[in-house]
Parts: sequence; C-alpha cells; structure tokens
Amino acid sequence: MAISTATKAATDALAVNRAPVSVGAQEVHRWLQSFTWDFDKNRTKYSTKYKMANDTKEQFKLIAKEYARMESVKDERQFGSLQDVLTRVDAANRVHPKWNESMKVISNFLEVGEYNAIAATGMLWDSATAPEQKNGYLGQVMDEIRHTNQCGYINYYFAKQGQDAAGHNDARRTRAIGPLWKGMKRVFSDGFISGDAVECSINLQLVGEACFTNPLIVAVTEWASANGDEMTPTVFLSIETDELRHMANGYQTVVSIANDEAASKYLNTDLNNAFWTQQKYFTPVLGMMFEYGSHFKVEPWVKTWNRWVYEDWGGIWIGRLGKYGVESPASLRDAKKDAYWAHHDLFLLAYALWPTGFFRLTLPTAEEAEWYEANYPGWYDMYGKVYEEWRARGCEDPSSGFLPLQWFAENNHPIYIDRVSQVPFCPSYSKGASTLRVLEYNGKKHSFSDQWGERMWLSEPERYECQNIFEQYEGRELSEVIAEGHGLRSDGKTLISQPHTNKDGKLWTLDDIKKIGCVFADPLKAL
Amino acid sequence: MANIHDNPNRDAWVKKIAAANTLANGVKLLTDFRAKHLSPFKTDFSLELDGQWIELKIEEKVALLKHKEFNDTQFLNNSATGENAQKVADAAVAKINATTDMYEAERIHINFRLANKPPILPVNVFLDADRQLGTKLMELRNTDYYALPLEELRKVRGVKVITLQ
Ligand SMILES: [Fe+2]
Ligand SMILES: [Fe+2]
Repeated sequence: MAISTATKAATDALAVNRAPVSVGAQEVHRWLQSFTWDFDKNRTKYSTKYKMANDTKEQFKLIAKEYARMESVKDERQFGSLQDVLTRVDAANRVHPKWNESMKVISNFLEVGEYNAIAATGMLWDSATAPEQKNGYLGQVMDEIRHTNQCGYINYYFAKQGQDAAGHNDARRTRAIGPLWKGMKRVFSDGFISGDAVECSINLQLVGEACFTNPLIVAVTEWASANGDEMTPTVFLSIETDELRHMANGYQTVVSIANDEAASKYLNTDLNNAFWTQQKYFTPVLGMMFEYGSHFKVEPWVKTWNRWVYEDWGGIWIGRLGKYGVESPASLRDAKKDAYWAHHDLFLLAYALWPTGFFRLTLPTAEEAEWYEANYPGWYDMYGKVYEEWRARGCEDPSSGFLPLQWFAENNHPIYIDRVSQVPFCPSYSKGASTLRVLEYNGKKHSFSDQWGERMWLSEPERYECQNIFEQYEGRELSEVIAEGHGLRSDGKTLISQPHTNKDGKLWTLDDIKKIGCVFADPLKAL
Repeated sequence: MANIHDNPNRDAWVKKIAAANTLANGVKLLTDFRAKHLSPFKTDFSLELDGQWIELKIEEKVALLKHKEFNDTQFLNNSATGENAQKVADAAVAKINATTDMYEAERIHINFRLANKPPILPVNVFLDADRQLGTKLMELRNTDYYALPLEELRKVRGVKVITLQ
C-alpha cells in the first residue's frame, strides 16, 4: 500500500536523525528541533493577513511526556485536596451564599472560554510553521483541555457537596434566555476562534490571557477566600500556573510576525479591536461579580482594574512588545473611564432582569451600601436609592407582583443591547461611558454603545448578526419564555434564578411571574 | 410547554423541502433561500428567527439528493450545480484578487458563500477557496482601518442614522 507524503517525510527524517537513546527531556527537545517541515506544500487551513516566521523559538521547550508528568502532579494535589480535606471539613457549605451564586456564573462561563481556547490554540498550531512555536501551542491545547475539565469540576463539586445546586449543574440549558450569555460568547468564543488566526491569538493570548486572566483567575481567588470559598483557589490557582505558557505563546505570536511588513499595517488595529472586545464585557462583568456577588469585599474593582489592566498590562506588558511595533491600544483610555461605573450600571440591569438568569442575585445590604458610597462617591444617589425603592416595593417577595424591570418602563428608561458586545445598557440611567447610537441598515435597526464597537460593525457588519433577547422574544410573555428556555428547577415550577439568597425567603415560581404579565418589547421598534 | 423547535414557519418549509425531489430543484431552493433570508445584504427579515434552522434542513435534503444523483467521481469533483468545483472556486479567487476595493471584495466573498457553501461545493474545495477569499478581504478591510471618520464611514456603508447621543 502506498504511504502518504507525510508518513514518507517522517520516515525519511527519522533515517537521518536517529532518535535519542536517552529520554532526557532537553535531548528529546533538541532532537525535535532537527525536524523541519516543508510548508510550501503544507499550508494552513485558516485565513490570516500575517506570515509567521519559520524560525520562531518558544521558551518552555517542554516535550509532551515531561508535560504530562508535571500536570499529573498538579492534578493529584488539586483533586486530592478537594476530595479529601475540603470534603471532610464541609468546605462547600462554608461558602457565603452570595458567593456560591457568583461561582455559578464564573466557573460555568470560564468553562466556555477554556473550551474555545482548545480550538483557538489548535488553530494556531495549524497556522504556525516553526516546529518550536507549534510545540508551544500544542502544550496550550493540552492545558486548555485540562482547564475545561477543571471549570466543569468546580461546578460539579459545588452542586454535589454544597448549597443550592440549581445553576451549578446544567447552566448551559438556559443559554437562550440570559442576556449575559451572548456577550460571554462574544469574548470567549467568537473572539478566540473567528476571523484572522493571528487576531484570534491576540484576543486569546495577548489580551484574554495576558490582561484579563490576572483579574479573572487570580483576583477571583482572593474574593473567593474572603467569602469562605476554599475550592475555587485550589482549582483556579492550579489553572493559572499554566497561563504563563499561554502569555509566552502570545508573546511569541507577535515575535513570529514582527518582521513581516503586514505587522506594521494591521497589528495595532487588531490589538485595539481585540482589547475593546475583551474589556467591553470583562470590565463590567468581573467588577459586578466581585463586588455585587460577594458579602466580604477585598478592594474596589476600579483599583484591581487599574493595577492589572492599565498599569501591568497596558504599561509593562505592552511596553515590552514596543520593540516589535506594538502600541498601547487607543481604546485603553475609554476603557479606563468605564472601569469606574460600568459594573454598577450593569448590576442595576442584571438585577432588573433577574428572572432570565440561572443564579440568585442579592440587593446590597445597608453595610454594603456604605462601602459602595465610600469607594464610589455618588453611588447612593444613582443606585442606592433605586435599590431601596425596589426593596420597599417588595421585589424580593413573590407575592408583591413587582419586577424591577417594571421600574425601567414606568420611568421611561429603555434598556438597549449593544449589537457588537451584546452587553445591555440603559443610556438614560447610567453613569458609565456608554452612549446610544442607533443605525438603520437595509431596513433593520442596530444599537451600539460606543465608537469602537460601532466602527467594528460598520467595517464588518456580517460578523455581528447575533439577535438580542428583545428581538428574539418580542411580543412574548416572560414566564412562557422562561419555561421554554429551561429556566426552572427540578420541581418544574420554581425558577432557578431568584432575586434574593435569603434562606427563609420565599422562592418565585412560574405562576408568580405569569401573574405580572410582563411582555418582551424591542426598544428599537419605538424609535 | 411549547416545543421550541416547532412553529408554523418551520412547518411550512418542511413541506416545501419534502417536495424538492431532484438535485436541480434542491439546489435552486437552497441558493434562493440563502440569498433572500440569510444574506448579510438581505432586506427581508421575516425569517430572522427560523432562517438558520430551515437552511440546515434544506442542506440535509440537498446532500441526500446529491448522494442519490452523483457517482463517486462527480461527488468528489463537481459542484451540485454540475459545474467543475475547482473551476468555480478558482474563478471566485481570481475575481477577488483582481480588485482593490474592499466593498467589492466583500460582495465577492459573501456571494461566493451564499452560492457555494456545502453541500453545493465539496468541503475540501470550498474551504480552501474560502480561506483565500477571507485572507484577501481581511487585508483590504484592515488597511488604513481608521482612515475615515465615523460620519463618513456610515455614509459609505449606506446606513441611516436614527439616533446619536
Ligand atoms: Fe485555560
Ligand atoms: Fe489559557
């Protein structure tokens, strides 16, 4: 039988380069380097504007076998702690109930990011031509498979050992109703795997990993421990030990294209768009999860943001890439403005839209309100007094017949969704930097909330066709949509999401929602 | 509880799809449907919610009709329209390489997809052409990306401004 060209090439190469007799990792790695592949005939499957150089190096120089030994030790420690000591001390029941809910969102969503990172790095493996660079991406493919399992395991552990399993288990079935899902898919899915392969690397490695995993995977462990959660640091810090390799891969992607003239034409545009894409969702969502999803506060989100995003990434990391022509993104300044208020704006909407979620939200207590006002002067007049009004109208109590969504309608504050980021915003009641822009294209209206997203859409409208929940469910009654989108607990009538985490508080059922008669309307139709 | 996969729109199309009984009928149904309901340039938004599901069902049918009417050689080398697949792909690539206008390149790429996305072309031929078209389009779109201020970019894109805050 005829052998394929690839098999023949490998056989010929082996005849010239005898395999090392020892299994010393560095010797094996040197041996791997002696392979060269002919890429004239072996082109990548993916589109890219850039050419990756054929002699790019990679810092970790790990071979698969050495890698597997190292990771299995990490897994032993992690699963060992979880299954033995943490289970014996009943750790999952010591978590503050508010934080228990945050982990429904954080770990289930991160799992999606990890899963898409597998595909993204597989794509980069295919796109690169240097054997070492490929080897670096390959290591990351394996890491991301591990991380997907780890994130899934966190929710499995919480569901099995802890409090209120609904939402830890099977969150994804609610993906059609919750407005947070679509934005999450933009950053964690589209951003990593669609478009130019190098642009995907910039989204995933240069921005997602080098910039946002610090707040996402490191800061989250501080918030978790402050709120009694020992499981999340055990798993997430183990994940983070792999991220160095991923940041290095992102760095090497830039090094590999630096001498290509395409880099000077496209790189800073791709970086600016990637940064804006990632920050537009993560800045408000992470701030909201930390501050509003916790009882014990670590530090104001704006401080964390300035340290990790603005100084560490925008200054030091990007500064290091300056010699390859990389500039700090122009949108960084606008992002900095958003880091102060955007998460407060988003929580107001997230709480109002609570029935569409898969987690329980809690209004700030009086003690928390003081913390917000002290750290964000002006908070009470804008948000605090609205929460007081909602609480007084019984928003937590199923018999009140009051959904905070009604408050927005009564006060004529329409909620729009940004077509590009899919993040909801309320232009007439917000302190963040969002501004309403509505454009009509071929008879259909599109809303945007900032200049960077508007330009991305005007340049490539077919990339941003995702419908939002107001378009999707227009004219339909809320309880019907929740039932259809699997938003119910196992009794078939109680909602997974709830507007409180009070142990003695009553839980809302589908009937309570139905009585209110809330119907979805598309605000763009009114314009 | 309503089954989210059934509704009168979809039922009507399931009947139309069942009626397509030759490859030629199926191809016409599919390419017309894509052009009218799934094109980024469309003006008919009546199937916004159901269009992709219906497209999938037409594609399934076309794949079966293609399997039934084509022999192995035709199956690997021909478009479902009967033309030589590689020639169709090469023509689109030559056309995009001849332009320096990003809006024309955009139309070439999008129309290529609408007319040729599998099962119309065999996957191997389609994907490689799509990669080359995408590369060229991205190069044109990303050159001088910030050259026009938004006011002018809106005009070039042909959008109507409804609200600007
Ligand atoms: Fe990861
Ligand atoms: Fe990673």
